[in-house]
Amino acid sequence: MVCMLETKGKQQLATTIKVKGSGEGSGKGIFSKRNNVCKDTEVEVNYVYLSELQDILLLSTVHCDGMEEEGWDRQELVASVNQIYQWMIQISEKYTGVVTQHFLGMTYEIRPMYYLKISQPSNNPKKIIWMDCGIHAREWIAPAFCQWFVKEILQNYKDNPRIGRFLRNLDFYVLPVLNIDGYIYTWTTDRLWRKSRSSHNNGTCFGTDLNRNFNVAWCSIGASKDCHDLTFCGTGPASEPETKAVSSFVESKKESIVCFLTMHSYGQLILTPYGYTKNKSSNHEELIQVGQKAANALKKKHGTNYRVGSSADILYTTSGSSRDWARDIGIPFSYTFELRDNGTYGFVLPAAQIQATCEETMEAVLSVLDDVYEKYWDSDGAGKGTPTAVVLGLLVSFMSVL
Amino acid sequence: MPPRRQPPPASGPGGPRPAVLLLAPLLLLALQGVAAAPAGAGRTEDSPGLQDAELQRGLLQQAARAALHFFNFRAGSPSALRVLAAVLEGRATVNPKKECQVDLVFTTDHYNQEAGEERLGKCSARVFFRNQKPRPAINVTCTRLIEKNKRQQEDYLLYTHMKQLKTPSDVVSIPDSHGHIDPSLRPIWDLAFLGSSYVMWEKTTQFLHYYMAQISSVNRWKTNDDAVDFDYTVLLHEFSTQEIIPCRIHLVWYPGKPLKVKYHCQELQTPEEASGTEEGSAVAPTELNNF
Repeated sequence: MVCMLETKGKQQLATTIKVKGSGEGSGKGIFSKRNNVCKDTEVEVNYVYLSELQDILLLSTVHCDGMEEEGWDRQELVASVNQIYQWMIQISEKYTGVVTQHFLGMTYEIRPMYYLKISQPSNNPKKIIWMDCGIHAREWIAPAFCQWFVKEILQNYKDNPRIGRFLRNLDFYVLPVLNIDGYIYTWTTDRLWRKSRSSHNNGTCFGTDLNRNFNVAWCSIGASKDCHDLTFCGTGPASEPETKAVSSFVESKKESIVCFLTMHSYGQLILTPYGYTKNKSSNHEELIQVGQKAANALKKKHGTNYRVGSSADILYTTSGSSRDWARDIGIPFSYTFELRDNGTYGFVLPAAQIQATCEETMEAVLSVLDDVYEKYWDSDGAGKGTPTAVVLGLLVSFMSVL
Repeated sequence: MPPRRQPPPASGPGGPRPAVLLLAPLLLLALQGVAAAPAGAGRTEDSPGLQDAELQRGLLQQAARAALHFFNFRAGSPSALRVLAAVLEGRATVNPKKECQVDLVFTTDHYNQEAGEERLGKCSARVFFRNQKPRPAINVTCTRLIEKNKRQQEDYLLYTHMKQLKTPSDVVSIPDSHGHIDPSLRPIWDLAFLGSSYVMWEKTTQFLHYYMAQISSVNRWKTNDDAVDFDYTVLLHEFSTQEIIPCRIHLVWYPGKPLKVKYHCQELQTPEEASGTEEGSAVAPTELNNF
């Protein structure tokens, strides 16, 4: 049976609907119709938010072998939240051998958290790059970027030497949506929801700000003990299951993780530690240098201006953030990215801007990865040990010549 | 003359009021320290250090935002709205009552900036923050971005579009969840932003600043021969607390006439609710200098 999907109304959608098998896309879904007509019609969509697929289905007509079926079962639309999981499965299947999906933990509302591991099998020990998106539910452009990032790495590692060399010595661990419960809540109920969906005070208030819940200077400053507030730090450090899932995993791998990137919006900023103090991390100068280089690379793409600085310097103080926690357990390169825009649309960034935002952010992240890579490995992939060891080695050999 | 600054940062997630109060004495101390410094503070030998330069920079940005909201409101022109481009220079002084006066110069862009279009207007302003009380007093003048005649023409064109507009019954929010604004509904967004500018001006303090996140409902949209009568609910995003504040706004607009605005916001954190009325008293002497 051949099925075609035709959109109705909504001309302003910056999307292309293609029937299965054709073209590229950043979102891909498998939808089944209730009464089994056009079962498992595959739809590829360009550069949309995953939740847009819901709207597209609502407004579209399916033509199957000349017959017309209008709209889709509402129940299946709500079930399209599974698209996050569907996408991950499909990516793992498409790039078997390089991508695997792993269980991280369960959310408050008992949904599974999965991360993708991108790793080229080899004998040498790898260092790890960690990236998470969507710790704040309403910041939709962030999960969109995580998807984009994964797609870019996988589509290009074979032909692009810059990306290919990363996979020789690095594994990428990507958590596309950290706050799944909150993210789904923004689809179904409140587009501007920020926190998780944990219940407090006998069900009178909901949600912890997961980025105030990590065990670093917990709730000391820039966070609230009131469960009604949007910066509610939780009932204790790492009290939330999502925080526990991420922190116990990252902690267990901390010796190998060299880079911790957490993606947010909006503000167009690259933030270094710390938020809980104005004191600077031991490698602050380096972090700023690398960050500024990334911002420059980003600007070259579409002219977008990003600012670089410590969180406490260029934002207000905050405590319990994942970035600060990661730095303090010893991960050297720890950054928060605040993506587009500057307040014009804020959290509700138009889908038409997804591609440009993702392209420029990709340049910034690749720039950081270049610097990280060059710090630890030579261009031929040989390990450098620690950079100071190299300097000492040179010094010793120089001294012996005198 | 101090060299042109980098575009100022957007401030980000921070603490609710208790943390902000903690910051306040530090901020004021720092300001008193830099009060003696010339414009472009943070760059002289007497500079109190990077930390205070950042505080200064943040304060200048707050002032610029407040000044722009006020300017947009007073201009009353939905086709000529401006956004902040960059703060060029500025200086802040604090009086014994902990009130804060900021003098600054900043550049602006057209709100509906077309791709490739570069029309940088320049504004100078004096902003007086009344120690965390809202409604900063503002004097602001800007160079012409759009010529007065052209602006009136565009406003009138917008008005004729508005008269033809029937809000679709199923419009729930603008933009929708995916950031889409139907081009035919764009005039609603622009006019809503104009009304929200009044509200955001009044609510901006040294520490709190706002963006318009979304129109959550259109309650009444009525166009007569002499006015657009617009009643709507808007969601404002306060950056330092990250809170979303719903505000019911009722405005009456006609091209060339001062905007009339009434509003009522739900304050989630404080018991008092903020509301205000402006009955076209925007006709102030300073207006003569503007256009």
